[in-house]
Amino acid sequence: MRTACLVAILVLGPAAGAKAAPDADTLLRQVYENYRADSSQSTVTMTVHRKAWERRFELRAWTRGDDDALVRFTAPAKDAGNATLKLKNDTWVFNPRLNQVIKLPASMLSQSWMGSDFSYNDLAKSEDIIRLYTHRVVATEQAAGHTVWTVEATPRPGAPVVWGKVRLKVRDDHVIAEELYFDQDMKPVRRMQTDRVAPLGGRPYPVMMTMYPLDIPGQWTRVETTDGRFNVGAPAYLFTLSNLQNPRP
Amino acid sequence: MLLALAWRNLWRRPQRTVLSLASIALVSALLICMLSFQFSVYATMLQTTLRIFDGYAQLQPPGYADDPGLERAIDDPARLARSAGAIDGVTVAAPRINAFAILANGERSYGAAVIGVDPSAERRVSTLPGLVAQGRYLRPSDVDGAVLGAILASNLQVRVGEKVTVLGSGSDGSVAADVLRVVGIYRSGVPELDRSIVEMPFARAKETFAMDGRASTIAIGGPDLESVDRALPALTALARSQGVVVRSWGDLQPALRDGIALKYATSMMFYLTLVVVVAFIILNTLLMSVLERTREFGMLLAVGMRPGQIGAMVWLELLILAVSGCAIGMLVGGGVTLWLQHVGVVIAGMEDLLAQFGLPSRLYPALTPLSALIGPGAILAAIALGGFVPFSRVARLTPAVAMRAA
Repeated sequence: MRTACLVAILVLGPAAGAKAAPDADTLLRQVYENYRADSSQSTVTMTVHRKAWERRFELRAWTRGDDDALVRFTAPAKDAGNATLKLKNDTWVFNPRLNQVIKLPASMLSQSWMGSDFSYNDLAKSEDIIRLYTHRVVATEQAAGHTVWTVEATPRPGAPVVWGKVRLKVRDDHVIAEELYFDQDMKPVRRMQTDRVAPLGGRPYPVMMTMYPLDIPGQWTRVETTDGRFNVGAPAYLFTLSNLQNPRP
Repeated sequence: MLLALAWRNLWRRPQRTVLSLASIALVSALLICMLSFQFSVYATMLQTTLRIFDGYAQLQPPGYADDPGLERAIDDPARLARSAGAIDGVTVAAPRINAFAILANGERSYGAAVIGVDPSAERRVSTLPGLVAQGRYLRPSDVDGAVLGAILASNLQVRVGEKVTVLGSGSDGSVAADVLRVVGIYRSGVPELDRSIVEMPFARAKETFAMDGRASTIAIGGPDLESVDRALPALTALARSQGVVVRSWGDLQPALRDGIALKYATSMMFYLTLVVVVAFIILNTLLMSVLERTREFGMLLAVGMRPGQIGAMVWLELLILAVSGCAIGMLVGGGVTLWLQHVGVVIAGMEDLLAQFGLPSRLYPALTPLSALIGPGAILAAIALGGFVPFSRVARLTPAVAMRAA
């Protein structure tokens, strides 16, 4: 009993005042868990803003576990039917005009995804930040009634990573507030910012996020999640090449 | 009178003079041969490299070099190409659409640069059309034809007559998807090109990539690199008025430019050493002879010659030596170069390396006024300048002291 008290004091002791900085690994795990759960279905509007034009896509997305994802575009008419499937380390795209599934070569993963400020890598390597990086809480602050931790993710030695460093701001309700990506020269190259957090599928969710490439001012891509359901199970047929080409209704 | 004296003095020691002449002539001849060879090999290398794909220069939208995306484009490229083609020294201006896309054949897919070209203009700006090894190059009548490099074709396992799928992004952010028929496969010998460049008709690329009548770049061709280089100011003026920029060959192939500059810098060190060494040998010889002849100079002073005149005489000896040495060198060097220009030079074991730069295994030097004059000119200048040393020595002599010298 006395030992238990001692442990409790030791563990909880520093928590007096602001919330204690949690273990960074656990924190990021919880963020991903909150973001996509064991499985998820969502409806998203993506706005690609350029100096000369702006395009709005509508899309449906399904995820299963950490590895598998399917994204299907539903609007505008010109791009509807295009789909991207990611299974483990492989990515395929389907184009309705060609009526063909194409496996993405590794050299193309850094290319823009559907003309947006996201690359195929963002889809294909979204879990890298957990697996291939080490994490450290570097700052704690209070904002909008939440404790916000800044987590710095640095690549494990020799890991095949895209970024030199990623700095994430994570709220105490496990919603990501900001992600800042650094290149291998430790220069910040793009920033993803959460514009609005709202309840979605029974959890606080970053329903509006915007990605800004820092080297091209006046250019951004915004994703707004209009509908989301989590842990509702995802039928196995969803994540297959045949479903990518011939979607079941 | 001084000239006659100098000439007579030189031939009082014929052995020494002949040796000096021979060393000057040898170095001049060597410099002429090496420079002629180097100039011409680099020029050939440059022209061959640029002619394969880049062109001798390009017109590009501002900022394209750093961030070549489809959203950076040239409006009304046909009109700009016509104006550029009318510039003296430019024979052809070929608009291109440069897109990056996935090429796929069944299970296989690779990233590649997909270039929309005007087949007839392209034939005159690039040698790629002539390097088609299987099938044929694009024709103006082609609608959905494609020509790709040999490495890419074998990666995709696609043959002439088969179809290949193109998937990328259009300039407006829409999905660019197309199916093309392979009409030809080229083999340039440059792996980067053979692996990554696909050419398709301009009109089709315009549709596929939603370019709306715009082009990414305009490649400039001319009779040779020099003519286009001379046309650069006019091209720059035209570009400025149209809101685009000119990229010279050095901007298009910075590695090649830097490589050549480095080669020149290191060779120049070597050439400079040769010139300095030969100048010192000659000066040394002359200084020796001046020291030997102190008594003689004292005598000349005593009979009324002014020190300046004696100095001039010695300097003249040196100049006669240098001029005739260089002249012999130019005759020999020029002759040898002309002969090599006729028969060519094969550097054994270098064939593979040369092929990488698109060079034939037999290289030909080219005798030009520049390559013929630069070496002998430098030697002449170095010796003439160095002649100040014996001159100043002689000019300081006084008859009494000089006569008493051993």
